Amino acid sequence: MSEPTKPLVSLPTTKVARAARFAKTGLNVGANYVKHYAKRAVGAESATADLHQANAEELYGALSEMKGSVLKVAQMLAMEKNILPTAYAEQFAQAQYQTPPLSGPLIVKAFRDAFGKSPFELFDTFELNARQAASIGQVHFAEKDGKALAVKVQYPGVADSIRSDLRMVKPVALRVLGLDEATMRPYLEEVETRLLEETDYQLELRRGQEIAAQCGHIPHLCFATYYPTLSAARILTMDWLPGQHLKEFLATNPTQTVRNQLGQALWDFYAYQMHTLRQVHADPHPGNFLLDATDGGTLGVLDFGCVKNIPADFYQLFFALLDPAVLADDARLTDLLTQLEVLRPDDAPTLRDLYLRTLRISLELVARPFHQPVFNFGDPAYMQAVYALGDDLMQEPELRKQREPRGSRHFIYVNRTYVGLYALLAELGAEVRTA
Amino acid sequence: MEKEAIKLAYLDYVLRKGQPPVSVYKLMHKLGATEAEFYQHYSTFAAIDREIWADFGRQARARAAEEPVWEQYGAREKLLGFYYTLLEILKQNRSYALWSLRYSLSKMPGMTPRILDDFRQGFEQFVADILRDGRRTEEVASRPMIQEKYPRAFWQQMLFVLGFFAKDDSLGFERTDAAIEKAVTLSFDLVGRNTLDSAVDFVRFLVQSR
Repeated sequence: MSEPTKPLVSLPTTKVARAARFAKTGLNVGANYVKHYAKRAVGAESATADLHQANAEELYGALSEMKGSVLKVAQMLAMEKNILPTAYAEQFAQAQYQTPPLSGPLIVKAFRDAFGKSPFELFDTFELNARQAASIGQVHFAEKDGKALAVKVQYPGVADSIRSDLRMVKPVALRVLGLDEATMRPYLEEVETRLLEETDYQLELRRGQEIAAQCGHIPHLCFATYYPTLSAARILTMDWLPGQHLKEFLATNPTQTVRNQLGQALWDFYAYQMHTLRQVHADPHPGNFLLDATDGGTLGVLDFGCVKNIPADFYQLFFALLDPAVLADDARLTDLLTQLEVLRPDDAPTLRDLYLRTLRISLELVARPFHQPVFNFGDPAYMQAVYALGDDLMQEPELRKQREPRGSRHFIYVNRTYVGLYALLAELGAEVRTA
Repeated sequence: MEKEAIKLAYLDYVLRKGQPPVSVYKLMHKLGATEAEFYQHYSTFAAIDREIWADFGRQARARAAEEPVWEQYGAREKLLGFYYTLLEILKQNRSYALWSLRYSLSKMPGMTPRILDDFRQGFEQFVADILRDGRRTEEVASRPMIQEKYPRAFWQQMLFVLGFFAKDDSLGFERTDAAIEKAVTLSFDLVGRNTLDSAVDFVRFLVQSR
């Protein structure tokens, strides 16, 4: 996986320590703005990009030290490249790969707490140095009865601290993104629920087993078997899947056929979850998939910590939006968007027109893969158009004035799923049968 | 009369009554033995307390060293391993640990309680050993004169950890884990080569080249 990282030397776990860390970030971000405006006042050139870069670095510096829930927020923000300024996105994307692991004795202690045994008694072999850092835990390599196992260990105290973490990340994040707390509340609640679910390894174990059983028939997918007797509230043991993460896999120059087969498996996996299970693995970032060239391309799915259940009414409205006939019909589009809480009855007519216009453009673009029997996600023009649209929307003065977020809270994770899925398929350069 | 039996009887009494027996005679009478047999092993009840604490330390060191990776640990990790193991043992004997600490701490605040004397000796020896190993691997900076005082300083850290554990009310004493991780990290940042060494080196250079 990634190169060996330095063991974690400090873990700010107490609330005071975390708060101090955040206060520092707030302060530094503030200082960056002061520098920016001071430079401007004396007439020097201080590009806004520099400012974003400086702020993002401060935030990331704090975030990677914070771990846990905050890192998750960082990851989610990074997924939505088209919403955040590029500099933030780049800094946050780092968070998806690299965070330093915990010290050895603390790992041993976590096992003693859970099983009354050290990992070396529990497994035939156990590597004390983590192979990979996950956002709320780290992954160790172990062997038992000749089987290679992945053992995920959660950082102690994560579950307890998520709520207070979110309380502290809110003011900073809201200010940096320029949002208002009251209107954000339903969305933040949704995120908080998912985050708390993610700390529950027993739940993840159950869901992982369920989804693997239900999706087992989809070709070229590979799921890890979970081992309940070797798992506990903070420890999760599963098979060590073969394969590489996307970046490393792409470095091996896989053929187009392999890419297509992997992309197809990924698409089919999501289509089945979305349309049949109505329950979806809502964390499609590159760290959660392992790609392997055997059998013409096999896709390993990891981490069922973040699973979104899709309510039936939302499902119907959402997929109705993707119908080309609806996009052409103003009245139906308005009606659907009103039901989805994107448009409000008390909106001024000009504002409503603006929303309708921009949403039609974005929906046409986002729904394009659904409208064709075969879609080439490798076409750079398509992803560029998606990102350019995001930039255009950011530039639209009327939209920028609209500070409050809109739409059903279920959009957050469904959007995140599709943004992540599209980004993965684009990076993979896959041609997929989408219809 | 076995030494171990006397110790267990004393421990049992303390745990049930929340105070030491009124007299040696009373305890030994219950065991069906004479007072003289007690003095073959211990002079006072406090001697038993000292031994129980020393046992905690010995057990923690032995059990921590049983870990297959022990030999691969650096000094920092060895100390962490010791603390976490000690904490496990204290968790199983928390009532006694709290009682004995409170019983003796209240008498002399800020000082090392007498009952921890033997425990302290074992601990300081252990710290001196791992620091010596640490100097060999350059994890710990060599600072003649000062480094002899290190074990005493680490003992203050041990007292801090015990005090923190005594007051910790978090589930599974997770906050004590965090306190240990932080305290040990800080101490090894201090004993490792750091800014201070460079500063001393620089000042020495300036003084010598005058």
